[in-house]
Amino acid sequence: MKSRMLITGATSGIGAALAARYAGRADLLLAGRRPYEEVAATLPADAHYVVADQSEPERAAAQIGKALADLGWETLDVVVLNAGTGWSGDPATEPAASIRNTLDANLFAAVTLAHALAALLEGGQLVLVGSTARRGAPRFASYAAAKAGLDGLARALSEEWRGKVRVKIVHPGPTATGMHAKAGFHTGRARALFAPPEMMARLIERAIARRRIRRTISFPQYLAAAVTPWRR
Amino acid sequence: MDLLLARGYDVVSIDLNPPHTECTAVGIVCDLADREALDRNMAAIFAGGPYAVVILNAGISATGRFEKMPVEAYRKLMKVNAEAPMVLASALANAGALKGHLCFVSSLSHFTGYPGAAVYAASKDALAVYAKSIRKPFAKRGIAVTVAYPGPLRTEHAARHAPPGADAARRRDPALAARTMLDAVLAGKRVAFSDPRARTVAVAGGLLPGVMARAMRRVIFEKLDRDVW
Repeated sequence: MKSRMLITGATSGIGAALAARYAGRADLLLAGRRPYEEVAATLPADAHYVVADQSEPERAAAQIGKALADLGWETLDVVVLNAGTGWSGDPATEPAASIRNTLDANLFAAVTLAHALAALLEGGQLVLVGSTARRGAPRFASYAAAKAGLDGLARALSEEWRGKVRVKIVHPGPTATGMHAKAGFHTGRARALFAPPEMMARLIERAIARRRIRRTISFPQYLAAAVTPWRR
Repeated sequence: MDLLLARGYDVVSIDLNPPHTECTAVGIVCDLADREALDRNMAAIFAGGPYAVVILNAGISATGRFEKMPVEAYRKLMKVNAEAPMVLASALANAGALKGHLCFVSSLSHFTGYPGAAVYAASKDALAVYAKSIRKPFAKRGIAVTVAYPGPLRTEHAARHAPPGADAARRRDPALAARTMLDAVLAGKRVAFSDPRARTVAVAGGLLPGVMARAMRRVIFEKLDRDVW
């Protein structure tokens, strides 16, 4: 039997690339914010789709729970919580609504889904997609905070669920997705050095297959320095 | 708060409860888990300024098995521990209501991992890294940011969430820890530990994260006999 897999944020960027990689090899339930009609053409042929906006964590968990029940899936082999969103700019000018949304969509949604899916995940694997920003990023302060929170969640849960559910976190470096533009950050020429989402998906798949709890996927230092000018 | 009052500061407290009657601090009663209440109180909070020192200390916990506690408890925890202090810090800086020192109270769990309190650990990691992220941009606005990492303290909070049989005498005196951390904040230090032992634990967690996480599982998670939120 093919393994059953849930991927959030699966309609663009790293999530879409991951879905494409696993298509045909796994039974996929993909979750995204946009309505089915808008994304149908880009989804892998056999994949199932559920609308679940991670900006509303409790509602998204209920929608995914219902989709799993409708499919009759009582177990999940792999869950990849990949959905993410960010805000970029001077942190003193970030609106309260943006701080709240960034924490909700990147961090609390993962807490809520991990909580809702705990029973289905027994014997399976929970993979959180973090970011190398988790060490701190002045232009992405709330995003960095949320991703650091994910790292803390993964470190605690991987110990708590040892022998029951394997919990991992993968921290991708800069990737050429739509996230930066959506966050209002102009990547400029540095973007040429960003990893294509397909390459990042390949590296994430490799991390999923390995035993290490935390995996950081980054370019060599000199490239990292080129794309993080604020670090100097 | 007692320490700041004793040193002659005028103190504004933001809390679920007003300051006790003989206390001279100005109390703004606000539930930090209530977004509308915080937004509504923001004008009053600005009016109490400009502040020379802001300490974002409010925090709650949830200890036990992650999947056994209600998700509503996690929602509240994230709002009080991470969201509210981030919203407050950003708003105070933007309004120019803070010139001086800003301290976020994170936790030593930032360095060790905290099985048995996964969401608490997540909230405190988020807070610590938010503080690191804003340090440079806030410095341009004349605000020095400190992250405090208290170790186990002899507080009601600890008594409620510690596993049975934990020795309260081994926890530090909160008044002493507050003095140590306040001095670090006023000196403009980037980090403030409650005591030298906390610093040692932080270094050990940095060097051997897996070992520390497993030790935390043994001394805390495996001994918890109840879920408390």
